[in-house]
Amino acid sequence: MRIGKGWLGLSAIAALALAAAGPAWTQTDTIASVKQKGKVVVGVKADYKPFGYTDPSGKIVGLEVDLADDVAKRLGVQIELVPVIAANRMEFLKQGRIDLMIATMAYKPDRAEVIGIPEPFYYAGAANVFAKKSSGLKAWADLKGKPVCAIQGAYYNRRTGEEFGANLVVFKGVTEAMAALEAGNCVGVVFDTTFFAGIMGDAKWADYAMVLPSIDPEPWGVGVRKDDPKFAAYMSGVIKDWHKTGYLLALEKKWGIPQSPYLVEQQAKFK
Amino acid sequence: MLTSRAGVALLAAFVASIVVAQVQAIPGQPSVVELLVKWTPLLAKGFLFNLLISFFAMLVGTLAGVLLGSARISPRPPVRGMSWIVVQFFRNAPWLVLLFFVMFLLPFEFHVGGTTIPFPDWIKATLGLALPIMANVAEILRGAVQSIPTAQWDAARSLAFSRRQTLWKIILPQCVKRMLPPWMNWYAILTMATTLASIVGVSEVMTLTLRITNAEGRTDLLIPIYSYVLLWFFVYCWPISLMTRRLEARYEVR
Repeated sequence: MRIGKGWLGLSAIAALALAAAGPAWTQTDTIASVKQKGKVVVGVKADYKPFGYTDPSGKIVGLEVDLADDVAKRLGVQIELVPVIAANRMEFLKQGRIDLMIATMAYKPDRAEVIGIPEPFYYAGAANVFAKKSSGLKAWADLKGKPVCAIQGAYYNRRTGEEFGANLVVFKGVTEAMAALEAGNCVGVVFDTTFFAGIMGDAKWADYAMVLPSIDPEPWGVGVRKDDPKFAAYMSGVIKDWHKTGYLLALEKKWGIPQSPYLVEQQAKFK
Repeated sequence: MLTSRAGVALLAAFVASIVVAQVQAIPGQPSVVELLVKWTPLLAKGFLFNLLISFFAMLVGTLAGVLLGSARISPRPPVRGMSWIVVQFFRNAPWLVLLFFVMFLLPFEFHVGGTTIPFPDWIKATLGLALPIMANVAEILRGAVQSIPTAQWDAARSLAFSRRQTLWKIILPQCVKRMLPPWMNWYAILTMATTLASIVGVSEVMTLTLRITNAEGRTDLLIPIYSYVLLWFFVYCWPISLMTRRLEARYEVR
C-alpha cells in the first residue's frame, strides 16, 4: 500500500507537471505573440482579382487585403502580407509562417481537420462552367468526354473530371484558362462563380455565360492555427461584426463585385 | 544551345505577338504595349530576384561541388563510393523534386538563443537549386582531373611531389581552363531554371507574370508578356552561351 501511495503521489506530480507543461507546448496564443511582435502576418492571394491581386508597384491589394488590414487595426498592430497559393497556404499557417489566412479558401471538413476555420464565414462561392451561350451545354453530364479548362487547386476539379467525366485541361492561372477558352481549346472553364460574376459585364465576354446550374456552394472561411481556440474565437467575433455592420457588403461594392445573396442573408442573420 | 538565330526568331515572335494583340485590341482598352511598359518595373524587380537566386545557387553549388568532386577522385575507396552515390542521386533527381524537398524540409525561421533568424523562401529555393549544381560541378571537376594525362601524375611523383602538391600545383591549374566552359553552361541552365521557384511560391519573375496577367485579366496580354520575359532571359543568357562556345573552341583538346 505504501508503495502504491508513493507511486500515486509520483504519478500525480508527473501528471501535474505534464498538465502545466502541456498547454505551453501544444497551445499557441497568436494574439499574445502578435501583440508582442507588433505585427500580424496575414497570408492572402496575390493572383485572384479582386480579392487579392498585385498592383503595378508590386503591392497586394483587394477585398481580402482590406479585411486583413481591418484585423490588424482591431489588434492595434502593423500588418505584413505574405502572398500564398492554394498549394501552400495551409502549410504556411501550420508552420507559423503566417498568423492568419484570408485567401479565398472554401470550407471543407478535411481542411478543418488540419487548421482552424472559425465560423461564421465571410463569403461564399460556388462552381460553374463559363462557356459560349451557344455551346448547348445544359447539365453537368453534358461535359462528359469534352475538354474543360480548369485552374490548379480548385476543389471541384476532381468532381468535374471523375463524376461528370470531363477531360480536364488544367492551367496555373485563370487568365491562361480563359485564353484557352477563347482559342477554342476547351468548351468551357470550370471555376468560382465569384470570378465569373466579376467579368460578366465585359463586352469581350458578351457571348459567354455561366451555362450550368452552380454546384458545390461553399462558404469561404479564414484560417487560424488549429491549436489556438482563443484566436479562433476572436476571429469569429470579428467576422460577425463584419456581417453586422455591413462592412463586407460595402467592400463588395468598393471592389465592383455583384452583390452576393449570401452576404445579404448573413447580415440579416446577425442584425 | 542558344544561337543568335534563336534570338532573332524570339524577337520576331515577340513583335508579331504585339502586332496581333494590337490588331485585335478592343477600342477604349489600354494597348498591350502600354500594359507592358506599365508592368516593366515590377517585372524587372522579379527578374533581378531570379539573377540573385542564380548567383547564390551557383556560388554555393560550386563550393560544395569542388569539395564533392575532390572526394570523387579520392584514393580512398569508401570516400569515393559515398561521393559517387551523392553525385548520382543529385544529378539524376528532378530539380523540381529537390526544390520541393528543400522547401518543405527546412524551417522558415531559426531560433538561436533568444533571437529569431528568418529563413526566407528564396534562400531555401537557392539551396534547393544549388544541390544539382553541386553534383554537376563535382562531375565536371572529376572529368577535368581525369582528362589530364596520367603520365603527369607519374612524372610529378618521380620529382618527389606529394599527392596534394601534384593535385593543387600541377593538375588543378590545368583543370580550371577545361572546367570553365561547362561550368558557364551550367550557370546558363541554372539561370533559366530559377523560374522553377515560382512553383514553390517565391515571388520571382514567373510568379509576378502570373499575378500581372490575373490582375489585368486580359487574355490578349498572355503571349506578349511571356515572350517579353523569355526575351529577357535570352538577352542575359545568350552572351554567356556565346562566351562559353568561344572558350570551348580555344581550350579544345586536340
